[in-house]
Amino acid sequence: MENRIEQKMQNLKTNKEKALITYMTAGLPDMAGSKALVKAQEQAGTDVLELGIPFSDPVADGPVIQNASCRSIQLGTNLKKVFAMMKELREEGAEIPVAFMMYYNTALHFGLEQFVEECISCGVDGLIIPDLPIEEQDDIKEALKKEGAPLLIELVSPVSGERIPEILEGARGFAYCVSGMGVTGQSGNFHRKLLDYLSEVKRVSKIPVMMGFGIEQAKDVAPVKDVIDGAIVGSHFIKLLEENDYKAEAARNYCSSFKKELNE
Amino acid sequence: MKKNDKRYFGEFGGQFVSESLMNTLKELDLAYEAAIHDEAFLKQYDYYMKQYVGRENPLYFAENLSREYGTKIYLKREDLNHTGAHKINNVLGQILLAKRMGKKKVIAETGAGQHGVATATGAALFGMECTVFMGEEDMRRQELNVFRMKMLGAKVECVLSGSRTLKDATNEAIRTWAKTAEDTFYVIGSAVGPYPYPKIVKEFQSVISRESKRQILQAEGRLPDVVMACVGGGSNSIGMFADFIDEPSVKLIGVEAAGLGIETGKHASAMALGKPGTLHGMRSYLLQDDDGNIQVAYSVSAGLDYPGVGPEHACLKDSGRAAYVSVTDREAIEALMELCRLEGIIPAIESAHAIAFARKQAKHMREDEIMIVCLSGRGDKDVHTVADYMNSGMCRESSLDA
Repeated sequence: MENRIEQKMQNLKTNKEKALITYMTAGLPDMAGSKALVKAQEQAGTDVLELGIPFSDPVADGPVIQNASCRSIQLGTNLKKVFAMMKELREEGAEIPVAFMMYYNTALHFGLEQFVEECISCGVDGLIIPDLPIEEQDDIKEALKKEGAPLLIELVSPVSGERIPEILEGARGFAYCVSGMGVTGQSGNFHRKLLDYLSEVKRVSKIPVMMGFGIEQAKDVAPVKDVIDGAIVGSHFIKLLEENDYKAEAARNYCSSFKKELNE
Repeated sequence: MKKNDKRYFGEFGGQFVSESLMNTLKELDLAYEAAIHDEAFLKQYDYYMKQYVGRENPLYFAENLSREYGTKIYLKREDLNHTGAHKINNVLGQILLAKRMGKKKVIAETGAGQHGVATATGAALFGMECTVFMGEEDMRRQELNVFRMKMLGAKVECVLSGSRTLKDATNEAIRTWAKTAEDTFYVIGSAVGPYPYPKIVKEFQSVISRESKRQILQAEGRLPDVVMACVGGGSNSIGMFADFIDEPSVKLIGVEAAGLGIETGKHASAMALGKPGTLHGMRSYLLQDDDGNIQVAYSVSAGLDYPGVGPEHACLKDSGRAAYVSVTDREAIEALMELCRLEGIIPAIESAHAIAFARKQAKHMREDEIMIVCLSGRGDKDVHTVADYMNSGMCRESSLDA
């Protein structure tokens, strides 16, 4: 079976559509609520879902996702439960591509081999690991050689410079371009050379280029719309869910209007 | 991980950081290698070590302690350094490097506050803007050091996330660094973090063992049998071990904090019960729960309650070159009081952990054998903590009048 993320990227290209990718912390407001939110977003037209696996020391995240992670851990969320939720979602027919956004230690502690096997059997399509630069990817790439394994999504930063070709060599799915320096959720704090940097990534990349970190509204990416293939919304989306008691309706409205505006 | 990779000590170390920091780390490594091979830089470092820090400090033969414990004990007096601990050795090295790299600002994390004070001191000396990240819990425990940092012109950023101790202060420093690396140098205080930090910290702290080796050869005409130091992240210990690692006759012992006792779960002994994992940019032994979340370390000593340990220590443990043991809060406080009374030296609670194990180790040693213990810092900062501990009745020496 073809990877759901790659399939989605192909469809978007065919339809000349830009992608909306959202991030949500798994286990909030609880496991059942998380599941409902995934389904609501699939209906609303979210293209790829980043499911955050909560970790005790999320150094790439700002306060919003830090707090969400902390709460989720306190509620008892762990990798095993998230795998179980994924399995249920797939059995119930959800086909939205899902990438785990996680810190390396969570997978390492689970055991890389076993982790990849669970990803395959539960329908996880991608992995985004912000503390695993290309220099440290050998072990996980070895484990990901299995048939049907998730894609390792590569992250690019505004200061990657000469590293860009090496990062993107063999990269699959999409290139995750971080919009600024630092952590998630610094609204509008984009790098001063954002357009140049994204243009360079776009020039080098054979796969779609997505921009994330600090995006709240579709208009935030308007100035760079021509060089990216989609936007990733994390902290703002979590904030919105919190303000609306994690109602699926709120997620649906936000995602469908963002997606629409992005493609106007 | 890659074999024969300079970024690794055996299977430990590496660079588990975000992509945005990779170029910064490379730039740091290049600048460091250039500096450390530059005579002028080394001369400048030595100058400040001598004239500002007050090195070399004594390798003091603790006669009374030796008599009491039944073996020859020498104390490496890092407590006599300016700012009161070994931390300044590394800080001045890194700040000189930061200046050389053209950085105008420094940030640091701190647990007990000693590294924070040392960084604030170095920043004042070299006219740099300094921000120190410190957990709220540690700020409460080490109020005096918070005030010292402020007096020295540093901004102390109170960290409210997670356990509100050193681990979280480090997270916050890394987050800030990721944002500001273009003009800011991150002065890491322990032998932890992504490559090249463990290497840099070791180099600047190795002055401890370089001096000790020379001093013991002068005093005794031979190498010591045992070299011992406390281990939190492991900076004074790696400095104390450095020049003895290639001397197989010298037994190396690192002493971790067992807190209320390893069996209680309230401890900071990453080597005793930790499993390899990744945190703060490195792969090393870490205290983790069943889901791979990092556990909160506990020790009466704010400088030792770190849930991990430097990667070279992890490697030294696995290779068997160094032994790692632990002592409880109570044993450490009792050793602290014993050193006060026998030698008139008030050690930091961190260093008292090493003294506490010295007593145990001495039982297996002859009278003419030699042990060097790193007295990494002085205890002025801990007076309140010791008083609270004694008043809580948890110590045999339950009051000062006893």
